[in-house]
Amino acid sequence: MKKLVCAKSFLGVTTALLLGASAFSPTCVLADDTPQAGGDLVMVRSAPIQSFMPTLVAENGSIWALEEVFDTLLLPTEDGKGVQPGLATEWKQSDDGLEWTFKLRSDVKFSDGTPMTSKDVKFSLDQASNEANPFGFINAAIAEVKTPDAETVVVRTKAPFAPLPSVMAIFSNSIVPDNYGGKSAEEFAKAPVGTGPFKLAERTIGVGARLVRNTEYWQKGKPYLDSISINEVADGNTRANQLMGGQAQINEFPAYSSTQALRAAGGDVTLGVFPSSRVDFLAFNTTKAPFDDAHVRRAIASLIDRQALIKVILFGNGEPAGAYMSPSSWSHNADIKGLPFDLDAAKKELAQSNVPDGFSATISVESGDSDQATMAQIILAQAAKIGIKLAIQVLDPAALDEARQAANFDMAFTYNTTDIVDPDEIIRFAGVYDGGSHVQYSFYNNKEIAEKAEQAATLGEQDARKKLYDEIQALWDKDQPMVPLYYSPEIYSFSTNVHGFHPYVTGNYNLSNVWLSH
Amino acid sequence: MLVPVVLGTATLTFLLMHLSPGDPARTYLGEHATPEAIAALRQQWGLDQPLLIQYLHFLRDLVTGELGQSMFFHEPIADLLATRLPPTLLLMLMSALLSLIIAVPLAAWSAVRNSGLSDTLVRTFTAVFQGTPIFFVATVFIVLFGIRLKIFPVAGYGNTPWEHVVSLFLPSLALALGIVPVLMRSLRTALIDALNSEYVSFARAKGLLHRTVWLHYALRNASISGLSVLSIQVSYLAGGTLVVENVFAIPGMGTFLMKGILNRDFPIVQASALVFALLVILVYLLTDVAYKLLDPRVRLK
Repeated sequence: MKKLVCAKSFLGVTTALLLGASAFSPTCVLADDTPQAGGDLVMVRSAPIQSFMPTLVAENGSIWALEEVFDTLLLPTEDGKGVQPGLATEWKQSDDGLEWTFKLRSDVKFSDGTPMTSKDVKFSLDQASNEANPFGFINAAIAEVKTPDAETVVVRTKAPFAPLPSVMAIFSNSIVPDNYGGKSAEEFAKAPVGTGPFKLAERTIGVGARLVRNTEYWQKGKPYLDSISINEVADGNTRANQLMGGQAQINEFPAYSSTQALRAAGGDVTLGVFPSSRVDFLAFNTTKAPFDDAHVRRAIASLIDRQALIKVILFGNGEPAGAYMSPSSWSHNADIKGLPFDLDAAKKELAQSNVPDGFSATISVESGDSDQATMAQIILAQAAKIGIKLAIQVLDPAALDEARQAANFDMAFTYNTTDIVDPDEIIRFAGVYDGGSHVQYSFYNNKEIAEKAEQAATLGEQDARKKLYDEIQALWDKDQPMVPLYYSPEIYSFSTNVHGFHPYVTGNYNLSNVWLSH
Repeated sequence: MLVPVVLGTATLTFLLMHLSPGDPARTYLGEHATPEAIAALRQQWGLDQPLLIQYLHFLRDLVTGELGQSMFFHEPIADLLATRLPPTLLLMLMSALLSLIIAVPLAAWSAVRNSGLSDTLVRTFTAVFQGTPIFFVATVFIVLFGIRLKIFPVAGYGNTPWEHVVSLFLPSLALALGIVPVLMRSLRTALIDALNSEYVSFARAKGLLHRTVWLHYALRNASISGLSVLSIQVSYLAGGTLVVENVFAIPGMGTFLMKGILNRDFPIVQASALVFALLVILVYLLTDVAYKLLDPRVRLK
């Protein structure tokens, strides 16, 4: 038996782990790490697969599954800080900044054997740009897609747009055959054809999907696995049991409470801790008194003992959050540490506010989410010490979403993860009022941030953009429309015979690299 | 009975889903969705219409047997139900059978040894299971038989008919153990009554075989009360499937309904509630038929 060495995954989340790229080489390497071909992998997750239609989905469960079937022009890098070649091998921006030219790989075929050309790319991008799609907004900067020849694609943008390469690496811009290969969109969604490492063999809605090796895949010798089954299992205990019982090889998001046991186990099951872009927040309804007062928001931020939350909720697998951008992004402003846990500071902030003697408010939590309930309890206890009376309101997920979106709440927990490697998406999503969700439904509206974000997107130089992003995060930090709570990793538990499993910061599984030792 | 129950269930489900907060269009489009995109989708799904109009459309579809399309999955409900119904039906059937297989011998044994040590043991055993939540029993079964002993699959439904039966054994047993206590106790009481009755004494006096007395006189008469308890308990099973299907990851009606509620997928919830209502009616119908077979008095009427 070959010796398995899991260097990083056993260390847990140390500061180094969150510092980024250099700290992450492949998670587990065999002393003799020659991949073995063959085998069927079963992954269990709670997330459903809504559809295999790249333009129609918005949930990670669907996104991460369809990424195994489709390719994009470019791919995120493993550390989530840049892009690497995908179906396009070269790309460059024109001198006026308005056009991006992509050279396509010449030997790529779809899983049905037809060659992939620029016509397919144009059709795919045009479909994806429809504003009615859940992710249509991501292509808003695109004016036109042109195809000078079969292996060249030119994307013209409305204004110079630096994040375009990363937009070409998002799932919604997956490359599908021109005109869906003559099928209707509905038919295509049921029998998708892509250039990815796997193709869909069967799918039962609400149960899962089985993908088999795409024999036409352009990366020779890959994928290693014969098939992957992605099964939907809602109950976390059931998933853990299936992994232990050998019914599954990868369990997505095991409970944090099980991480210690998994690390210690040393048996057939191991724990993988992978850096992610996830940032958790406590959001305020900044349109509602007294939360329209930054002093009140800062007072509450000072009441939150982030270390305690990390200990209780993440069992130590996380870092306290400061800036609203994740450390996984190059835009992260490391100088911002967030407001420290300090009751005196909280009292001082409250004294300067419109409600110096305290007030009553509610924290809305999602039913069935014991983490949110626990965090709310911890915050409630501290708030009581400076005269803020908090009550906890439990709402079911859909009702909570509606309450938040209708600005009918005081405080609620929320988080974000990025879909693209460029910071543009999250800088806007969590900082700009018109960035998609009105700052994650805190309804924070800061014109200066909006202008800087707009300006940064047009700049080509990363250093110049970084400077603007640093300023944005500092402005945001002063106003605290949300309290950044912690940066957390993505955790997976898996059998020790699974090798090469290393999801990217953006979540992509990259199962083409995974192999099973028999 | 059919029409009022179906109409009542359908109307209640419709109102509960439409009046509770939460919007399928928001759930579907996710956090990034613009208000315009949500409004457009609401219009496409007819959710912008007055509630009364939506209700009338719903009734029209109900009468014509049109179940509609899932909002979340873009698939016809009828197709989804076709894959979801069989596991639940099999699960309920196996639970009912298992509960009989366990409860009848226990009740007989306990009745014969009325107030003896074994009777006390049996009654204690059933009381313990009556007080234990199904999800706990289910989890213990998974750990014991699935992970440690590896006799049964940990979860799932398998691919072949035989795998289905094997996969559903533990969940059925967990559900059955929830029914056994009540069923066993009512059977036991009825059996004790029957055994003490004059017709049993008479049958014995006539010199009939012990087995004949038991099967044709005591058990047959006692089974009538057992049957009504079983039918009530089996309709209660419809609710139990929600828990058990979740713990054992069985792609049945219970998990289907739960997902539908969380996604605010109105057509799924309405159709599932209807199916459960019809299942309960079906069980009552079957019970009536069984009464006729067992009790000559019902046949005479």
